[in-house]
Amino acid sequence: MDEAAARQMAEDIEKGEKILGANQSPQPDERVLAEVKKSVVAALRQRRTVVFQKRILGAAVAAAVIVASVLVIMRYGNTPAGNQQTRLIASSVWEGADDADVTVLKAEIENIQSELSEAQSDDAGGNGSAAVDDLETELIEVNGDIWKG
Amino acid sequence: MAQHDIDRVIIGCNKGDEGCFTQLVDIYGRRCFGYFYRLTGNRDLSDELLSELFVKLVEKISTYRGGSFDGWIFTMASNIFHDHLRFKQRQTRLLDEHSKRIMSQSAGTISGKDDDADKLQMALRELDSDVQELVMMRFYSQMSFKEIAESRREPIGTILSKVHRGLKKLRELMG
Repeated sequence: MDEAAARQMAEDIEKGEKILGANQSPQPDERVLAEVKKSVVAALRQRRTVVFQKRILGAAVAAAVIVASVLVIMRYGNTPAGNQQTRLIASSVWEGADDADVTVLKAEIENIQSELSEAQSDDAGGNGSAAVDDLETELIEVNGDIWKG
Repeated sequence: MAQHDIDRVIIGCNKGDEGCFTQLVDIYGRRCFGYFYRLTGNRDLSDELLSELFVKLVEKISTYRGGSFDGWIFTMASNIFHDHLRFKQRQTRLLDEHSKRIMSQSAGTISGKDDDADKLQMALRELDSDVQELVMMRFYSQMSFKEIAESRREPIGTILSKVHRGLKKLRELMG
C-alpha cells in the first residue's frame, strides 16, 4: 500500500469513527448497573463459599487418608514372622562351618556333578543308569555332610 | 481512569474485594453495554449479556495476566456475544426455522424484537456481522488494530481492511 492510500484509509477510519462518536448508543439504566453489581457481589460470595467448601472437603479427605494410614500401620505395623524372608541356610550352619572343610566338600560336589553329567550324556554305555543312581546318592550324601559341619 | 488506578482495582479484585468489582462495573459497564447494544440492537438482551459478562469476570479475573485490560475484557465480551449467537442458532434450529435466514441476518435481528433503532443501528445492520463486530470492538474497547489482530488471531492487514471497509460503508449509509 502506498503512502497516499494509507493516508486515505486512516482518514476514512477517522471519519467513520467520528460518526460512531456522534451517534452514541443508549446508556444502561442505573438500576441495571446496580443489579449487575448485586449479581457480581452474589457471584463473589458464592465463589468464596465454594472455595471454602472445597478446602474443607480437601482437609477432610486428607484427614481420612491420614487416619486410614495410621490404622493400617497399627494393624500391620509389626511385620509378622511369616512375612520375613526365610534364610535358606541357618546362620549357625554358616558360622560353624570350617572354611577348609567347605572348600573340600565343594570341590567334591563339583567333581561328582561333572561325573554325573558325563554319565547322563553317555547314552551308549550299557551301565549308564546304575552309574547315575550311584553318583546321585553320593552327591546327596556329600551335600548332607556340608550342613552337618 | 489512569492505568495504574485500573491496575490497583484489578489487584483488589484478585483479592476478592467486592468494592473493586463494583468499581469495575462503574468503569466498564457503560462501554460494554454500548458494545452489546450495538451488536444486538436490544436493550433487555444487552442488560443480560452485561450481567453475564461481569459474573464471568468474577470467575476469570485470576486468569488476567497483565497487558491491556480493555482488550482482555472486550475479548471476553466478544466471546459472550458469540456464545449467545450460538445458543440462539441452536434454539432457532430446534424451532425449525430457516437457518439460512439466520445466517444472513445481522446479530441484532437474531436477538429478537429490536428497540426503536436509531439511524446508526439501521446502518450497522447493513454490514457483515464480522465487520460490524470488529467496528464495534474497535470503537468501544479503544484497542489498537494490533491488539485487535492479536486477540482475534488474524493478520493486522485483514483487520484494518475490514474496519476500513465497514466504516466507509457506514459513512455512505449515514450520509
